[in-house]
Amino acid sequence: MKPFRLNRTQTFIFLSLLPAVLLVFGFTYFPILKGIDVAFRNYSLFNLTDVHYVGLDNFRAVMGTPQFGTILKNTALWVIISLVFQFAIGFLLALLMRKGFRGRGIYQGFVFYSWALSGFLIGIIFRWLFNGQIGVINDLLLNAGIITERIGFLSDPKWAMFSVIVANIWYGVAFFAIMLLAALQSVPSELYEAADIDGASGFSQLFNVTIPYIMPTILSTVALRVIWIFNFPDLIYGMTNGGPAGSTHILTTYMLDKIIFSGDYGQASAIGIICIIILLLFLVFYMFATKAEKAGDF
Amino acid sequence: MRKATKWMALPMVTVLAVGSLSACSSSGTQKAADGGKAAPAKVNLKMIESLTSPARTEVIKKMIASFEAANPNIKVELISPPLEGADNKISTMLNAREDLDVLEVRDVTVKQFVTNKWIADLSSYTNAWSGYKDLNANAIAMANYINNTPYFIPYGLYEKMLFYRKDWFDAKGLTPPKTWDELYKDAKALTDPANNRFGYSFRGGSGADGYIVDLLRDFNGSNVNPDDAMFLKSGATIFSTPEAKQGLTMYANLYKDGSPKDSVNWAFAEQVQGFVSGTTAMLIQDPDTIDPVSQKLGQGTWATAPMPVGPTGISHYKVGAAGWGVTSYSKHPNEAWKLIEFLSSPEQNAIFTKTAGVIPIHNSASVDKSFTQGAYKPYIDMANDPAHFVSYKPETDYKGFGEWRKIVQQDMQAVLLNHLSIDDALKKWDAYWINEKKQGK
Repeated sequence: MKPFRLNRTQTFIFLSLLPAVLLVFGFTYFPILKGIDVAFRNYSLFNLTDVHYVGLDNFRAVMGTPQFGTILKNTALWVIISLVFQFAIGFLLALLMRKGFRGRGIYQGFVFYSWALSGFLIGIIFRWLFNGQIGVINDLLLNAGIITERIGFLSDPKWAMFSVIVANIWYGVAFFAIMLLAALQSVPSELYEAADIDGASGFSQLFNVTIPYIMPTILSTVALRVIWIFNFPDLIYGMTNGGPAGSTHILTTYMLDKIIFSGDYGQASAIGIICIIILLLFLVFYMFATKAEKAGDF
Repeated sequence: MRKATKWMALPMVTVLAVGSLSACSSSGTQKAADGGKAAPAKVNLKMIESLTSPARTEVIKKMIASFEAANPNIKVELISPPLEGADNKISTMLNAREDLDVLEVRDVTVKQFVTNKWIADLSSYTNAWSGYKDLNANAIAMANYINNTPYFIPYGLYEKMLFYRKDWFDAKGLTPPKTWDELYKDAKALTDPANNRFGYSFRGGSGADGYIVDLLRDFNGSNVNPDDAMFLKSGATIFSTPEAKQGLTMYANLYKDGSPKDSVNWAFAEQVQGFVSGTTAMLIQDPDTIDPVSQKLGQGTWATAPMPVGPTGISHYKVGAAGWGVTSYSKHPNEAWKLIEFLSSPEQNAIFTKTAGVIPIHNSASVDKSFTQGAYKPYIDMANDPAHFVSYKPETDYKGFGEWRKIVQQDMQAVLLNHLSIDDALKKWDAYWINEKKQGK
């Protein structure tokens, strides 16, 4: 049997690829594997001299907290409501920006601006806007006569989740506007001309020409956004820190909490794995439901 | 030929990459250049701070510059991570044994650093240091907080006191409260929601834990064991008594009758903002608040007072501290200590404490006018009245302390929002600390 040997060209290709492979492994796969390992260990910053394996204890501890139900419900609300409004408003803005008009460039800049800010910063800005005592939003509502008493947007559990989702919608609209505008501009004008000749109304053109044409973009951006919103604790962390009384925790803020307050990387990693499992299940379902080939390349 | 050029390309890329890397670390070449026998080798120290703020970083840099001027052989590189998550960054660096010599150690991190053997025992240095005995009792106690061993030298101390709106109190003919019950009554009297005025800057959000636990200690009075202050001298927890219930009920009422509704989720920034913006009449805070308050509020409109005492006339206070330590694996421990000794001298410490808003570590500072008069005065008064102001050893060395902070804050919010009864909260906290005690430190 001939031993496995690379010829010179293959060796060159192999060596050229090696740095990239090593980097990806070192900075992407190794941390993932390490995270999985840590999830099954007693890994607390408080004492790293004893990091023995504890089986499923971390998962039991995390899922066993009475809050866990609320956290899952919040995560679902956070993803679904944010996504629906981000998409609807973003799509509307993209449609409006498709046709050229004076100052469109500047207007686009304003629309896309929020996407350039850090989530944590937005969280802090909205924390002051929504402040129940000295916040601008309360002031505006009071002066406009819409409310007679200040609302504790971030201190009342009934309002807190609403407030963080509003901030998230504001933030994420820009992404859909950018991506969908790019897709809209790629729709050939002949299609609309043909539709005009057939006498299709604007509304019917939207649903029979525009949306089917940009469907691949819609499908892939929606999938991306679901993952990103799911993994976006920054805003909530900056605004409410999961409060009041834990009423705005989602899985990822709960994970941060485990690291920042408890220094418990074991339980935090367990939450991380739960997140990965949920997202994988979602993606499998999503690909199946939308017939993956339509979704184009991710 | 083509193949040959391809092969040439590989080492070229490597050379370029390595070249750009070494360009970043000029210290490496510097060391070699100075390595001649005439001059002693230059030592580079790496130092990291945790409670970063722009003004404070600037002062530290100035202090480092004077240190470098006095010690031309030592160069100090300061790392200033953002305050949020700085301690996590430091832990990660230490765990990876990254190049660090001097680091900021806090009362809340020292136990963890010692358990993981990340920081060095400084006793051989403090024994030889003449300045050590000039430190005040609180500074020495905090330096030796873990295992009675000096693991860090505090640069300053934190202690809470009461800030109040003197003009509002005068207008209503009130005097600053001496007890918690008076504070509640005053807060209620000063509350006028129609004019957006409230008596007390309540802390319900992040960091609420210390306020609640200290108050419950005050209500338990002299029964509290100051050496293990989550417990009474009898061994029961401070949450198990009728006095604890009385205290927590008062605290919940203070929120309902004398504080803004929104304050259930207030953290440091909102709490201080509430006071300086003229929404609240009273604020309990550390000395680092003196500076922002005096900048925003006019002179004469505010003043400070000692902490209110519990029903039996006792207030428990925790001295918080942060300071500088040396990593256990530092290659230049002697130079690192030299830097700490320099930073801890009375002159340098005076410069630092005035900017950072902390209580100085030296006995000699108690004759400094800026600390004996004005806003800092309650600290001197409290220190001179040990019968009523009892200091205790903080519980930060319990394993569950980090988790506890979050639990007590969330439970208290649930109590204030009527999702949890006071009895149930106390029962839960009692069980938590019985279990902590069982697990040991």
